[in-house]
Amino acid sequence: MALNGAFSHLVVECADLEKSEAFYRDVIGLDVVGRNLVADNRPNSLLATNTRQRLLLVETGEVPPYPGSGGSIHHAWLLTIEQFKAARDRLEAAGFSSGIDPRQSFRAVGEYNMDIHDPDGNRFQIQAFGEEGTEILRSGAGTVMMGHMDDFAVGSVTHNRKGRFFLVREDEGFLAVSSWCTHKNGLTIWQKESWHFYCPFHGAKYDRKGCYVGHMGCQPMRLHPMQIDALGQVVVDTNRFFGRSGFEAAQAVPAEPGGKFDETGLTELPACDEKEVRERAKTGG
Amino acid sequence: MADVETLSHSGISVHDLKEAEDFYCGILGAQVHGAVNFVTEDTLKGRSVHQSYTLGDFLFALVLAPDFMPMPPADKLMGVNGFRHAFAVRHADFDATIARLKAAGVPFKGPVGHPDKGPFGESVYFKDPSGNFLELLWRRDENVDYAKAPQLDVG
Ligand code: FES
Repeated sequence: MALNGAFSHLVVECADLEKSEAFYRDVIGLDVVGRNLVADNRPNSLLATNTRQRLLLVETGEVPPYPGSGGSIHHAWLLTIEQFKAARDRLEAAGFSSGIDPRQSFRAVGEYNMDIHDPDGNRFQIQAFGEEGTEILRSGAGTVMMGHMDDFAVGSVTHNRKGRFFLVREDEGFLAVSSWCTHKNGLTIWQKESWHFYCPFHGAKYDRKGCYVGHMGCQPMRLHPMQIDALGQVVVDTNRFFGRSGFEAAQAVPAEPGGKFDETGLTELPACDEKEVRERAKTGG
Repeated sequence: MADVETLSHSGISVHDLKEAEDFYCGILGAQVHGAVNFVTEDTLKGRSVHQSYTLGDFLFALVLAPDFMPMPPADKLMGVNGFRHAFAVRHADFDATIARLKAAGVPFKGPVGHPDKGPFGESVYFKDPSGNFLELLWRRDENVDYAKAPQLDVG
């Protein structure tokens, strides 16, 4: 079955075609293609996004009430950041409150969302992805002392929540792996049972060395420079970030007093303050 | 120009994730995308259990909703249960698509021809095992070079 792009259109029933067409045109921002262009003997209106995808509104006498337990049925419209700002204004002008994202805590940094119900109570998300989603975020923890190197067994992964990194002790030595997901700035967690880092935002997984496993094509998690001082204390510099294309043994800092981070083959990445970016993200781009 | 680029994704409620996955992947050719979880404790705690899939350029999540809306009558093949999703195939492959539905034993209605003045050619209508209405069609504008849906990898 050869698909043509795949998704063609979404059919939505409405009680009042006039009203719904106006909603999807003026509030959501779709273009009206025309009336009664499809084989359905009820009045219908076809609307367009900027791609092949269409929305078909069909007027029926009675729209069954929005299923409460099926609250997970929803659709999300994707907008650019500029379109998103304009949509927010349109929503406000039309009397919708758009300021609050009820599930903000589930979103990655830089993911903007408004929830809105159409005239028949169907839930839609309006989504946009800002550049904050790919910016590199400095936690503000600065230089973090982790304790003596002998306290970390080979194979251990120690989370430093405040510094937003994991200290990974491998055979080859230590890695200070930034916990930001390289996909869209979700915060990953270490899943001990399955030996991987997991990002709950869109499901990315990384192995213990921070390399992505899966088909989303994400970059490896970034590294912080770190060292072992003369007394064997592990010191991590959370202000700096290095990108890499995969894991190499030389990235690990040798587990011995005086062990140093080797930048060869790594790319230092400019970072911004997480706090500041989160502030910016709060106001919707 | 519309003020909306595209549909980003959909969440579709189903009664049984395995059954739904077999249907969407086995019959419609969808692929597993980000595996989120299939963990029963989550369901017991009332958290949403879902898994995302791609079908061509379309990203959707199947969400487990055991107390889902009532099933439509078995003989109702064309309808809208809240929503209906329609997927496009190329005109040249339309017959093969119908044959595939027949071979899989999926009851369908159609093909139904659309008015010439509109962008749609012919459609067949059917349901997934949870009673979500679906449609496959070919479109008269299949060779128009529309903007591509951005690949977001989110859901
Ligand atoms: S932010 Fe998308 S998977 Fe992590």
